[in-house]
Amino acid sequence: MRLKHLLFSLCCLPVAFTSQLRAQFPAPTKEELEMTSDPKAPGADAVYFYREETTDDSLHYHSVYARIKVLSEKGKELATVRIPYERHNFKVTDIKGRTIHSDGTAVPLTTKPSDLVDVKTKEVQINTAVFTLPSVEVGSILEYKFQIRYEDNVVNSPDWDVQQPYFVHKAHYAFLPAKGMYVITNSRGEALNRLMYGSVGGIGEKVSHKITGGYELDLTDIPAIPSEDWMPPQNSVNWRLQFYYTQYATGAEFWQKEGNRWQKEADHFAEPTKALRESVTQIVAANDSDDQKSRKIYAAVMKLDNTDFTREKSKAELKSEKLKQVKDAEDVWKQKSGSSDELALLYIALARAAGLHAYPMQIVNRNHAIFDPTLMSTSQLDDYVAIVSIDGKDVYLDPGQKMCPYGVLHWKHMLASGFRESDKGLGAGTTPATPYTTNLVDRIADLTIDPSGNVKGTIRFILRGQEALHWRQLSLRTDENEVKKQFNEEIRRELPEGVQADFNHFLGLPDYESNLLAMVDVSGTLANVTGKHLILPEEFFGAHAGHPFVSQDKRMTPIDVHFALMKQDAVTYHVPAEFTIENPPAPASIGWANHAAFKSSSTVKGNDIVATRTIGYNYTVLDSKEYGDLHDFYQKVAAADQQQIVLTRSQTARGN
Amino acid sequence: MRGGHLLHPVLAIAVVAAFPMQARSGIFGKNQPLPDWAVQANKTRTPDYVKDASAVILYDEYVEAIDATGRPTERERQAIRILKPQGRHNTCAVGYDVDEKINYFRVWTVAADEKQYMAQDTDFVEAGDTQIPVMLSTYKERIAHPPAVDVGATVFCESEEVLRPYMHEKVWRIQNGIPVVFQALEIDLPQGGHHAEAWHSFKAVPGVEVAPGHWRWEVRDMPALDLRDIPSHPEWEALAARMSVQWGDAAVEGKENEWKAVGAWVTGLEADRPQPSPEITAFTQSLIAGAPDFYSKLSRITENIQKNIRYFVVSRGISGFQANHAGDIFRNRYGDCKDKTTLLISMLRVAGINAYYMPVDDRRGIVDPEVPSIYGNHMIAAIEVPADVNDSRLMALAKGHDGRRYLIFDPTNERTPVGNLPAYLQGSYGILSAGPASQVLALPILPPEGNGNERKGSFTLGADGALTGQVDVTHGGSGGAELRLSLKDSDEKERRQALENSVAHDVPGVVLNSFQYVQPAELDKPMELHYKFTAAQYAHSAGPLLLVRPRVVGSDAMAFNDKLRTVPIDLNATGRWRDSFDIALPAGYVVDETPDPVSLDLDFASYHSTVTVKADQLHYERELVVKQVELPASRVADFRKLESAILMDEKGTAVLKKQ
Repeated sequence: MRLKHLLFSLCCLPVAFTSQLRAQFPAPTKEELEMTSDPKAPGADAVYFYREETTDDSLHYHSVYARIKVLSEKGKELATVRIPYERHNFKVTDIKGRTIHSDGTAVPLTTKPSDLVDVKTKEVQINTAVFTLPSVEVGSILEYKFQIRYEDNVVNSPDWDVQQPYFVHKAHYAFLPAKGMYVITNSRGEALNRLMYGSVGGIGEKVSHKITGGYELDLTDIPAIPSEDWMPPQNSVNWRLQFYYTQYATGAEFWQKEGNRWQKEADHFAEPTKALRESVTQIVAANDSDDQKSRKIYAAVMKLDNTDFTREKSKAELKSEKLKQVKDAEDVWKQKSGSSDELALLYIALARAAGLHAYPMQIVNRNHAIFDPTLMSTSQLDDYVAIVSIDGKDVYLDPGQKMCPYGVLHWKHMLASGFRESDKGLGAGTTPATPYTTNLVDRIADLTIDPSGNVKGTIRFILRGQEALHWRQLSLRTDENEVKKQFNEEIRRELPEGVQADFNHFLGLPDYESNLLAMVDVSGTLANVTGKHLILPEEFFGAHAGHPFVSQDKRMTPIDVHFALMKQDAVTYHVPAEFTIENPPAPASIGWANHAAFKSSSTVKGNDIVATRTIGYNYTVLDSKEYGDLHDFYQKVAAADQQQIVLTRSQTARGN
Repeated sequence: MRGGHLLHPVLAIAVVAAFPMQARSGIFGKNQPLPDWAVQANKTRTPDYVKDASAVILYDEYVEAIDATGRPTERERQAIRILKPQGRHNTCAVGYDVDEKINYFRVWTVAADEKQYMAQDTDFVEAGDTQIPVMLSTYKERIAHPPAVDVGATVFCESEEVLRPYMHEKVWRIQNGIPVVFQALEIDLPQGGHHAEAWHSFKAVPGVEVAPGHWRWEVRDMPALDLRDIPSHPEWEALAARMSVQWGDAAVEGKENEWKAVGAWVTGLEADRPQPSPEITAFTQSLIAGAPDFYSKLSRITENIQKNIRYFVVSRGISGFQANHAGDIFRNRYGDCKDKTTLLISMLRVAGINAYYMPVDDRRGIVDPEVPSIYGNHMIAAIEVPADVNDSRLMALAKGHDGRRYLIFDPTNERTPVGNLPAYLQGSYGILSAGPASQVLALPILPPEGNGNERKGSFTLGADGALTGQVDVTHGGSGGAELRLSLKDSDEKERRQALENSVAHDVPGVVLNSFQYVQPAELDKPMELHYKFTAAQYAHSAGPLLLVRPRVVGSDAMAFNDKLRTVPIDLNATGRWRDSFDIALPAGYVVDETPDPVSLDLDFASYHSTVTVKADQLHYERELVVKQVELPASRVADFRKLESAILMDEKGTAVLKKQ
């Protein structure tokens, strides 16, 4: 995004301090050598006895030391250490390591570490230093240390990722900031004469500020990084602490001042210039209501080329086409092309030009992170959305998300926090989530079963909200044929085994304000036929669908299902005349108050059975404390989805 | 999951002043006009047969100029037209290692509006091979991201690279994931030079000697190879058309001689590597002391390597082909497939057993006996079995042309015992690298007895449909080895999750009460899995009826469909899989109906299944036997018949009636 500052482009003068590197590896204890499992980390493949990270910004180095116990074959993977670094300013030095067998024999690292190119462009080169410790066995203690040194003209305040893939018994972190910080400036030339830090996991309270000016953090019994399905972004759960050189005294001051700067830049970009005011008269009519104006402008912006879904033109192409780099909304409008953020701000500019109260909001993309107010960096803000006030009510819009219906946000922009403008000025804000009724999947199947149990028929999918948006956005990045193939592959996973799906056609793919319809032909073997009976799954879609949260009975982290949703199925089975249904399955109804509901029932009309199933959940993010109820709900749903319909062959057909 | 310890990248966030990098000279070119070959290629009409391809290669020409030492310099010219949005990622890249050099790499685009652009140095990225956690590789790729690559545009790439000096073979991949309209290969041999070529999955095209010692082959209108919607297909690369041309020692008359030369090259390359160090000698002697027979001696050595040498690849130029010295491998206790094979050969030498390197590919069908080549991705060992040794545990035997028997063994596979063979190698080919006795050998397909599992379950069904019970499984052969490997690479939580997911696939809503994996220390003993579970609503009532599926857990069915089949069917592995389940019925219920028995015998497989009732017990029993690893496409009807029978049997429902 071109509007962003490079807040942390700093500079300093070299200052000398004494190095405090660990000179010798400590001798392992008898208990460490003999350990075969760790009661504090049951089942762990390895544990860290100790981790230490030290940064001295005056002497310009980071040092890392680790002592690890290998408890299983998988734990041996920790013998290979990779240290990515930016090669222009940094270098990895003083790598030392050894492996200690459980009998106390030490095998030193003698192989020269490798320095590999990870990625290299004209502007930047990221390398990875790699070494692998020798002679590793289950039971070995791995020990290594290294330094990352950087140029005298560089400061590099640390970012301590305290949680590791494995349990850590004890950790020590230390940071000695650069002295004479008055010489550190950012890209705007502002002096950064203060130091702040933010943290996740409550570890900030444990930081001690030493009389020497340094900061230290000592921790014990640090759990391993959690890994569960449907987790919120890692940045919201992993313990970490980050230091910043800053010109601000408090976090509140940081967000206020930076917010003002952000607002100024956003408003400058979204300036309703004379040209835009003239253009908007071609889009809206003077007597349109505010709602009509807003919708028309939104539709006009949606028609433009969104380069995040196509591609951005290179400098050479812009030059060839005599186009300049976009600097504001007017440029975007003239070029009929822009990035998602630029188009969102263009909408605001045009709305303002039409006399609407429209405001930018910049948020953290919930697909990869959660806004962290303790992290003093506007660089965590990713995407722009627009807010327009219609009849005194805020309407959230996502003009940068091509194919997103008016009034709907892409799920990654729902429940997302950041800066927003309003009539009252600048403030923090969080976007709303949409209810389950806005995200619908209807599946209507018409299936004919023959006496051998074979099935033939069609399924009509009706998608609305996020589900439709997913396929429509895919159609922008690929072509319709590819969308069809991927749609087919996805629905096959939910069909009963033995049933094949062949995609037929879409309806309404380009019309983002309408429902998306998909027609699919199905064939194959569905029913189980015995001498007397024909047995069908009551839930054509549910029987084979993978249900989340069924097998795992405990949960450590919150649950993020991205968006609320309702699925409604109506399956008509036309069964052979020689079979009759005597006992249709009893209706099922499973509820989880204020959260989710499931209902299924079957009705019989002659030789037709209509099985309906509805499941809806009206939550997006749940606390881990609610997992028990969630688990219970889905276990019941999974069981109910196995209900079967039994048809009995008539006596005549049996030959009696 | 295997993986190294990845630390976060350290990036410069503070710089006093910008130090602009010097622009590189010449390698990328500076606004040179579109060369004539590209102008001509751009005139190529997009053919109708491309159908829904995302892009099409209009022109692809390689010229290999071989110097007097046999070292090639390769020039490639390629033109790619983008047809669909998802085709934009089709661009050019030149790979190189420490012993190679890119002389130039130039890229142009003719946009859909016919405007021409040349990529500048800012349009290139160099990417290392650093993403594989267990590998340290110096290989890099220079990747072009030229301007205006959009639907309708054509990208033109021209590069020249001095290739590694020791590789005297060009593998010309003539089939891709997108169609190719025209492609050509030229080799320009030094005076008096010879060549030998062979074609895989494609009818040979005769070469034309366009100048003395300068040969050219042309191929037109090659369709894309798309296996996306084909279940149970062989490896893509096993089916893709390619040609191999040799100009070194392997450029000799007759395929047998060519294979001999390829094997001799490997023999020479690794000649001094297995030399046992004093430490290896002493260790091996103590390891095999008192071993009563050949198998015991052998298995003590193989298991030691399998258990104690960590897999880690160091690939730096020629070390991608040449192993480290046995002494270093023994000391460091890590290495890749070549290293493990080297240490094995070294230790076997100490034990008085001859063993040889055997380059293979771990994807069946890629090494083609009709195409002599070093093309492959893996190294295993061929262990010579003395004539007087006859041990039924040595199943993976291959016979050489001279009548000698070789035991095929993969020391990198840490859990397949010596004597057995991983499924991925069965039915494949390997290059026995035994100096002048080198040859290509067919790797054995083991009998069904060499692999499979036996699953026994005992359950109690409640009148409310709840099922509780215990399952005991023994896993042998390559399947058991795969399970052992998956346990090695997972922690307790991951194992529970994987087992829960697997059982929940068959029994939705299942609660796993307990589970235990039992891995005997000896790799040739089957491993065991025992678990107990409860499922609240396993059986479903319908009025007075209660419906219960006798096949409680485990699926043997492979994916299939009814579409036209043109590629062979990969059956994965031979083996024998047996299930036996007893379900105690709830009081007051009798069996009204059971699924019909299944009995199907085919030449490549058999399947038998029965459901019987004894007193208040429902007993389910089945056996699947697979005798081949691959079927031709023409057998698809039989394959469907088998898989359909298995699938229907697995879905079969018994009907219980309330008395």
